[in-house]
Amino acid sequence: MTSPLSYIDPGSGSLFLQALAGGVAAVGVIGKVYWRRVKRLLHIGKPEDEGSPS
Amino acid sequence: MIGTREVEESPVADGIHGGVAGVLEHDVIPFVSYPYEWTFSMLRDAALLQLGLLRRSLDKGLILKDSTPFNIQFRGAEPVFIDVGSFEKLREGEPWAGYRQFCMLFLNPLLLQAWKDVPFQPWLRGSLDGISPQELRNLLSLRDRFRRGAFTHVVMHARLERRYEERDDDLKGELKKAGFKKELIAANVKGLERLIGRLRWEPPQSTWSDYGLETTYSSEDAERKARFVRAAVESEGPKLVWDLGCNEGVHARIAAETADYVVAMDADALVADRLYNALRGEGRQNILPLSVNVVDPPPGLGWRGAERKPLPQRGRPDLTLALALIHHVSIAGNVPIAEFLDWLRRTTRSVVIEFVSPDDPMARRLLARKRPNDHPDYTEDWFDRSLRERFDVVRSETLAGGQRTLHLARARS
Repeated sequence: MTSPLSYIDPGSGSLFLQALAGGVAAVGVIGKVYWRRVKRLLHIGKPEDEGSPS
Repeated sequence: MIGTREVEESPVADGIHGGVAGVLEHDVIPFVSYPYEWTFSMLRDAALLQLGLLRRSLDKGLILKDSTPFNIQFRGAEPVFIDVGSFEKLREGEPWAGYRQFCMLFLNPLLLQAWKDVPFQPWLRGSLDGISPQELRNLLSLRDRFRRGAFTHVVMHARLERRYEERDDDLKGELKKAGFKKELIAANVKGLERLIGRLRWEPPQSTWSDYGLETTYSSEDAERKARFVRAAVESEGPKLVWDLGCNEGVHARIAAETADYVVAMDADALVADRLYNALRGEGRQNILPLSVNVVDPPPGLGWRGAERKPLPQRGRPDLTLALALIHHVSIAGNVPIAEFLDWLRRTTRSVVIEFVSPDDPMARRLLARKRPNDHPDYTEDWFDRSLRERFDVVRSETLAGGQRTLHLARARS
């Protein structure tokens, strides 16, 4: 993934990690990311929920 | 804001036209230094400054778009943030883009030294990008992996980095939709502040860390040496002084009584670190301690070797102190005396240089490690002749029963 808005490479893994490093509040975010991925996989997401094409 | 002040109404602002909200002016940093010359405590304090600024920026809806220690300089023993251009508006829902850079250039070097007692300076000098999570992970023992911060910032970080290396997911978009918010960045930053604030470097006794205690000087000779240095600084009136092999900083402090700024360098990072902590405690802003080895000084680095300048290109000293140094440079460092004096002549205007006789206990100890005729040039006669060929000797004084001689000398052009 490239990030057009930053001039240093933020690193995808590093971005993801920040959700983990955010403590208790982060659990919800990580859970949601995975829930969305599952929904997308099963094609049950609403159209506006869809992220970038996989 | 630290290190920068807003300029009210001044000729600077008059010359700028159109759509300018304000003009900022940096205080001049007296001598530029780089992280690979800093000691452990210096990098730690710089990291805490970076995190503190980031935390306060988030409160104001701003973020620092990068996290490099090259954006921090030291004014004496005080870290100063110098890159106003790093502040930008926080975009809601986006993570901290500089987190990876923070780990590579601040956190991982500090962990390497605190956990493994491996100095970070050679690594940062060898790689301006720093130490990657994967590289540090490879160095951690099982015990290390259970240390605070290791699992998240190193082990998981390395694993996620590898997993996402080849993938093109729109992770940023995914995180945003999942409700990523700035409180998560703030929590991460606070966690890093706690982690780094507790890091300590506890090395075994270094070679020179008790040097101050075992010098061959009597207190009377030490007092005469201090007087000689004080008189030299007063007669030369230097703005910038270098103290090479500064040890505990006794003479750097004397020089700082009258000089504008003193750069106090020692090859022993532990000695330099202790000096930094002492100066930091006193709030000193005119002595900059650095971990620099004069026989292997920091070169030009980065693109075309010009992004980071070699040491002498960052400011020519008016006076250099080279006290009880020559035997280290010549005998331990294998630099011929004439060669060292040539370099000094080109580098500094004046010098206070001490010759340590081959019969001095410290010199004898170094010579004992070599073959008998390895250093035929290490004699007082040869030193004197070489010095006088390149410098005008202003005055000299003999100490320690003739085993040490101090010279104040001015470089011939």
